[in-house]
Amino acid sequence: MTLPVAARIARRELRGGLRGFYVFLACLALGVAAIAAVGSVRESITAGLQREGAVLLGGNAEMSFTYRYAEDAERAWMARTAETVSEIVDFRSMVVVDRDGVTERGLTQVKGVDGAYPLFGQVELDPAVPLADALAGNGAVMERVLADRLGLRPGDTFRLGTGTYEFRAVLTREPDGAGDGFGLGPRLIVRTQALQGSGLLEPGTLFETKYRLALPPVADLPALEAEAEDRFADNGMRWRDARNGAPGMTRFVERLGSFLVLVGLAGLAVGGVGVSAAVRAYLEGKTAVIATLKTLGAESRTILAAYLIQIGALAALGIVIGLVLGALLPLAFAPLIQAQLPVPAEIGIAPGPLAEAALYGVLTALVFTLWPLARTEEVRAGALFRDAVGRTRVWPRPRYLVAILALAGALIGVAAWFSGVPALALWSAFGILAALGVLVLAAVALRWGARRAARARIVRGRTALRLALGAVGGPAGETTSVVLSLGLGLSILAAVGQIDANLRSAISQELPEIAPSYYIVDIQPNQLDGVLDRLQGDAGVSKVQTAPMLRGIITRINGQPAREVAGDHWVVTGDRGVTYAATPPEGTIVNGGEWWPADYDGPPVMSFSDEEAEEIGLKLGDDVTVNILGRDITAKVTSFRDVDFSTAGIGFVIAMNPGALQGAPHTHIATIYAEPQAEAAILRDLASAYPNITAIRVRDAIDRVAEVLDGLAAAIAYGAAATLVTGLIVLIGAAAAGERARVFEAAVLKTVGAVRGQVLAYFALRSALLGAAAGSVAIVAGGVAGWAVMEFVMMGGYAFEPVSALAIVLGGALATLAAGLGFAWRPLAARPARVLRARE
Amino acid sequence: MTDPILSLDDVTLTLAGNAGPVEILHGISLAVNRGETLGLIGPSGSGKSSLLMLMGGLERATGGSVTALGHDLTAMNEDQLARFRRQHMGVVFQSFHLIPTMTALENVATPLELAGHRDAFDRAEEELRAVGLGARIDHYPSQMSGGEQQRVALARAAAPRPHILLADEPTGNLDGANGAAIMDLLFGLRDRHGATLVLVTHAADLAARCDRVVRLADGRVAAQEGRRAAE
Ligand SMILES: Nc1ncnc2c1ncn2[C@@H]1O[C@H](COP(=O)(O)OP(=O)(O)O)[C@@H](O)[C@H]1O
Ligand SMILES: [Mg+2]
Repeated sequence: MTLPVAARIARRELRGGLRGFYVFLACLALGVAAIAAVGSVRESITAGLQREGAVLLGGNAEMSFTYRYAEDAERAWMARTAETVSEIVDFRSMVVVDRDGVTERGLTQVKGVDGAYPLFGQVELDPAVPLADALAGNGAVMERVLADRLGLRPGDTFRLGTGTYEFRAVLTREPDGAGDGFGLGPRLIVRTQALQGSGLLEPGTLFETKYRLALPPVADLPALEAEAEDRFADNGMRWRDARNGAPGMTRFVERLGSFLVLVGLAGLAVGGVGVSAAVRAYLEGKTAVIATLKTLGAESRTILAAYLIQIGALAALGIVIGLVLGALLPLAFAPLIQAQLPVPAEIGIAPGPLAEAALYGVLTALVFTLWPLARTEEVRAGALFRDAVGRTRVWPRPRYLVAILALAGALIGVAAWFSGVPALALWSAFGILAALGVLVLAAVALRWGARRAARARIVRGRTALRLALGAVGGPAGETTSVVLSLGLGLSILAAVGQIDANLRSAISQELPEIAPSYYIVDIQPNQLDGVLDRLQGDAGVSKVQTAPMLRGIITRINGQPAREVAGDHWVVTGDRGVTYAATPPEGTIVNGGEWWPADYDGPPVMSFSDEEAEEIGLKLGDDVTVNILGRDITAKVTSFRDVDFSTAGIGFVIAMNPGALQGAPHTHIATIYAEPQAEAAILRDLASAYPNITAIRVRDAIDRVAEVLDGLAAAIAYGAAATLVTGLIVLIGAAAAGERARVFEAAVLKTVGAVRGQVLAYFALRSALLGAAAGSVAIVAGGVAGWAVMEFVMMGGYAFEPVSALAIVLGGALATLAAGLGFAWRPLAARPARVLRARE
Repeated sequence: MTDPILSLDDVTLTLAGNAGPVEILHGISLAVNRGETLGLIGPSGSGKSSLLMLMGGLERATGGSVTALGHDLTAMNEDQLARFRRQHMGVVFQSFHLIPTMTALENVATPLELAGHRDAFDRAEEELRAVGLGARIDHYPSQMSGGEQQRVALARAAAPRPHILLADEPTGNLDGANGAAIMDLLFGLRDRHGATLVLVTHAADLAARCDRVVRLADGRVAAQEGRRAAE
């Protein structure tokens, strides 16, 4: 019989409308909406990547090689397997434009294509000429940024190496662009044929070939992959196929999406604190009703059920609002979002992410409302006849505590499961719980400290301060809930701020001091002396380092396939730079084994970077097989050395004795440390003497990385904004909930002789104290969380960024103050008589 | 020879009710002499509280003038009124109106502090001792009984030694024994400090302890009866 009665009570109480529940609804709706929106966008992008896999990859499958074209056996297998094969050559070079005696140069990522390109999708050009026409003869197309930088218009000519080409159209869409991954320069496309005689594809030059295969519809991709790997992997062949056409992009989108969902969950936790406070305030106002119901014979269970139904109905409303918003927002902004994405994404309503967001909403609502709800059981009928203020803090019964813990566990478990990054999710949950724990302690400490301080002699006479301290430390204040919600919101914002600031400074601040101005790659062995001559005579050049450079793929370790030994470690997943040297290059620290004698002339030996060696479990004496230009070279590891990749100097994971590699075609890399004024002349002289070389300005490369990171930071900032808005709503909610109490206090204070300035000062100090306490915790919590994310997720260094932290925390304190003062007008304006009489 | 410390001249009060403005007090003229104890009686809703609020400057008269200690309260702004109360007036309410986030001591010390007394806390402690609460100075209102809370409120009103004490049914929320104790304290304070007291009450025995009693009915002075006024 309990339930129908409870439902009737609930319905009657809900007739009162939504007053007092706007904060509750907004907190829940916002958190759910943020998660649903992020999930929907992520889902449409991954769906797009999946669906368009062949277009993004440029074929149903791709076999790629470093430094070389496919050999006959490989070509034969491809011809046998595929309906059509398209050959792509990919390398870096410099576009050179001579105009009116001035020479302009621009780094570019060149793609040499054949007539079959593109196998899938369409290349789009501006003006909209057919690709075949645009590339006919010496025709070329390039991205707009490059054409603009060099001032090229269709019909103009430019040089690439020693070849001359005609710019015909701007490349506005490259269907396989996202699949190609990250390039340091803008894209340029020419016919591979047209590159003959440009001097750019000489032996030893850094280039990559990709063979895109159009397969028959019945092709069994996993089987073909296994077969190709089996035959050619040891020859340095790498396989990709349309099941995951843009693996880098997919991984990036999934990682970023998960990260944003976690930020959204943190926002939901912030909202949860607001939800909890709203429910508590509502139920406290219901003490008399509950006591009356008990007097009339209602059981505790009935009353709990009645309020559970009410809060449940409101929570359902909040979640539905959130889901509608979360589904509609991405749709509304679809054109904007799509324009920002380098990949095809059809933004639609995705049921999966919506269900996920709803589940988070339900669990959060339960976790945060069960506590205040369970406490209705502790209201005694006698409360009616005693002073209502005389309530003591009571804990809910153990079974409710168990239920709350179980639900919280479920919430964390679900988040870990869905996010796909369980470790990160668990650590985030741990971080949020730890922050909440610290904040509870901080609130207790603040109340204790404020109570003590309010009694201290020095505050006597400073009425506003003493009043503020008394209010913060006194009973029945909102100290705990404000410190919790504001502190958690600020902690999350501070953490995001720390990560963001660290990401940015990692690329913009550290490097200029020590980084070289230019890298020069593709220096042919016979050009090296000439290059060095030019540089060593220059007073503007402070340092030049050169090293022979080859690229190879680690295929085997002690005869075992490298991937089986080292898993997915980056050292074995792609091709790596390899160098050789008779003596340890300047600055090398050998910290395991010994470098080979300068005149060593035995079987190949190798020095491996110590950190990476440890990560893949390499020991001295192990045999490592590296495939270079299709040839296997097996070398014994005889030493480890410390390689610092962070200084942007020349860092090679693998160095070998000269005898092992000298015979292979190779080029040299040089790093130049020069005064900015000397750079232009050096570049001009080297590039005109050796047209085949490519100079990469470090500043440009860093800027290019920075662009990507900027996008990342922006996405994170959007995620954090949802948390911020939730935090503000909670804040305003807390201030609004306190308004009644403020009105009363102001009336009493005026009665005993306080002028408005004193009352206002009291309110301001009170808000400031709460804001400062929450902010101090946030600085520490944000710093720790930022450090953990940078250190363990981004694998970067961490330095505390005081400006970001202080800005966020000051902003938070100011927001608390503003909210507090915003709700001080009514109390200040009200005549004491009206207020006090209403309470008689 | 009379010396009015508080005088009301043709005071009207109109408040905004649910159905338009309601005139609550209709042209009240009344003078309270220095050192006098005036009882305000009358049926519920007759305007006793409103009148008391006007005397304390807690409410603003719609018409007429309220003069206290030679100052025209109707001409003062909120802050001037607050400063005036700080020095000259103590108010006690039926529902005590203590600030819940302050201890007894802090509640009592607040007006003293506002008035700029350096020894506010020591004096507050004395006042609390004087009302028999020396042992409970660190208790919060929620930890005290109604009678105890009203004693704190009395101490708070009396602490700055006001010339005028205004009390609105101070025993209305208390049982008989507690009420009597509060009344004894209130009259004791009046005697000790020589304050003028205006007391709103329902109880006939309390009215009997006043120098003069004014009966209100329907927002007008219906009758006055003096005990010592005729001397
Ligand atoms: N804020 C208000 N607005 C309108 N009418 C009010 C207000 N406060 C009190 N009243 C009315 O004023 C009249 C006098 O009230 P009050 O002074 O409290 O009387 P008493 O103290 O004698 O019981 C009552 O009829 C009451 O309903
Ligand atoms: Mg009254």
